[in-house]
Amino acid sequence: MHTRPLARADLITGVILVVLGVAAFVESWGMPRLEERNINPWTAPGLVPGMLGILIALLGTVLALRSAFAGAFGPQLPLDDDTPEQRRAAWRRLVLCSTLCLVYSVGLVGHTPFWFATGLFVFTFIVSFEWEWDEAWASRARKLGIAAAIGFLAAVAIPYLFETLFLVRLP
Amino acid sequence: MFEGLGHLFDAFQTFANFTTLFNVCWATLVGITIGALPGLTATMGVALLTTLTYKMVPEQAILVLISCYVGAIYGGSRSAILLNIPGTPANAATTLDGFPLAKQGRAGEAMGLATTSSMIGTFIGVFFLALIAPALAEIALDFQSYEYFWLAIFGVVIAGQMCSFDDALKGWIAGFLGLFVAMIGQEGIHAEERFVFGWSELSGGIALIPALVGTFGVAEILTVMRNRAAEMATSVVDHVIPRWKDLWDYRRTVVRSGLIGTAVGIIPGVGEDIGAWISYAAARRASKERELFGKGSKEGLCAAETGNNAAIPGAIIPALTLAVPGSAPAAVLLAAMLIHGLRPGPMIMIESPDFVFQVVWMVVLATIAMGVFGILLTRPLLKILKVPRERLMPVVFVLCVIGPYAITLRLFDIYVTLFFGVLGFILREMKYPMAPLVLGLILGDILDKSLRRALVLSDGDFTPFFFRPISAVLWITTALVIISAIPAVQRGAARVFNWKKA
Repeated sequence: MHTRPLARADLITGVILVVLGVAAFVESWGMPRLEERNINPWTAPGLVPGMLGILIALLGTVLALRSAFAGAFGPQLPLDDDTPEQRRAAWRRLVLCSTLCLVYSVGLVGHTPFWFATGLFVFTFIVSFEWEWDEAWASRARKLGIAAAIGFLAAVAIPYLFETLFLVRLP
Repeated sequence: MFEGLGHLFDAFQTFANFTTLFNVCWATLVGITIGALPGLTATMGVALLTTLTYKMVPEQAILVLISCYVGAIYGGSRSAILLNIPGTPANAATTLDGFPLAKQGRAGEAMGLATTSSMIGTFIGVFFLALIAPALAEIALDFQSYEYFWLAIFGVVIAGQMCSFDDALKGWIAGFLGLFVAMIGQEGIHAEERFVFGWSELSGGIALIPALVGTFGVAEILTVMRNRAAEMATSVVDHVIPRWKDLWDYRRTVVRSGLIGTAVGIIPGVGEDIGAWISYAAARRASKERELFGKGSKEGLCAAETGNNAAIPGAIIPALTLAVPGSAPAAVLLAAMLIHGLRPGPMIMIESPDFVFQVVWMVVLATIAMGVFGILLTRPLLKILKVPRERLMPVVFVLCVIGPYAITLRLFDIYVTLFFGVLGFILREMKYPMAPLVLGLILGDILDKSLRRALVLSDGDFTPFFFRPISAVLWITTALVIISAIPAVQRGAARVFNWKKA
């Protein structure tokens, strides 16, 4: 039996799916049957979600069993041929991107003026990814200028497009 | 026949104006740009434009979306050829021969061939759109709840199988998760709330556009920013007008790929990427120069690009006639039609027959614009590929956030977009295809209502589900697809095949 890539992740996903499927079935079973309204019992609201819960649990079981027999408990195969340093760099980029996006969409939008949130986000995003400490100051200043220009354009153009042209009240 | 021609002529009149020309031009150009930029897919482009077009008149709005769709699938070939990164998933097969051609200094020739192949592919598909859609709508009039139930199951199962060839189980899981997510909110028969847990914003269910923008937009941004930046194979472009001899030499491949692409497009949820792969595989099998495939074969490039573009009209056929999309961008298109008050489905040829033929013209106009821009704007489009992702992605993210919000003006939809972005990213990393998930989201409501209505009609009797002719075809096909995905069955079939060959 050869080890399947992602075997351990699949095992964990399989278990999560079984839990989700069973929970969906239990919740569906407990849904109102609307007997007081004299509805046809075949139209009970929980029928289809309950059926889907069983199917998801079944598929999760197959996935978990398959992974268990395909090396989920042994050493895992790498998914790519990246070096550890490249993987760390990719991970850093992902964390930085997710954090910036989350701060903008949850923390800033709806709580600060939209133009301000957008300009700040675009500027910070570009600078965060392009900034290199070992670069010459002229190059860094140029990057800051470009980021500020794109941020300013985004802060002006996007609200104008939505508010003025499409008459959308922005958050 | 003559009635159809009359509708076709009437539909043309709708679009014989300057507004149409303007909208086709800018939307196709936006589509090509979106497709050409790695990380921006056709689905994301159509979804974002949906949010920008909902104040337009319906015909012009759908025209804009179709132009963007056609442009994006074609535009993806640019980055596939020059960067070895498919601009959209539909162009993955294009990288196999397009990038080697570019490395040989024949990038212009490759782009020219991709342009003409894409045009021919779309025209083949649009011919069948005009031919099949009215007939399929007529057949669909015989569909009752039993057939719709099986159609939903069939769609999820076959999309799961075809979008995840080497691991159908993950495709099915994605599809059934999509169906389950569609159960959230008020159900459509008794208006009972399900899985809401007291959260009033969930009562209306999960809206399609935020879910799609999250799955295809936010998830894509995370993926692009995580990966290393790509480098262009060449910035020098040779002649971009293709030689007629090449097209004539590969005429069989182009026609075959057009037919395969259209047929694959019609299958629910499968879409352009699979259309391209199957066309490519078929061309390789039939080719006299198969040793060149993967090393810069012009025939391989033609097959992939014809196949993916032919799948566009193919994918629109079931979206129009059954309200079941043939691909992920077609799913957004379907949602946009509903937002604009159009009612795709079996009644379309009765309620608004002109609209079907208007769609035919929309695809034709977009294809012409795509060809013209593709040839004329080769060098400016090269510049777009040089825009650093660090400067592009934050602006795209802002549009992903504000686009879904603009439809309902609810902050909640921004959070739905984010949730589906993260979910889509994780599922993608674990090799789950996204198309069945989206199809499940759309088919969930059909499945739910159809099963319960059918059981009421039959008074709990399950035999009509299995013995009505169309139902029987659907469940038997579904069962065969499932059985054929079982590894033991595959091994047995391979043994039988090898034995016969020996």
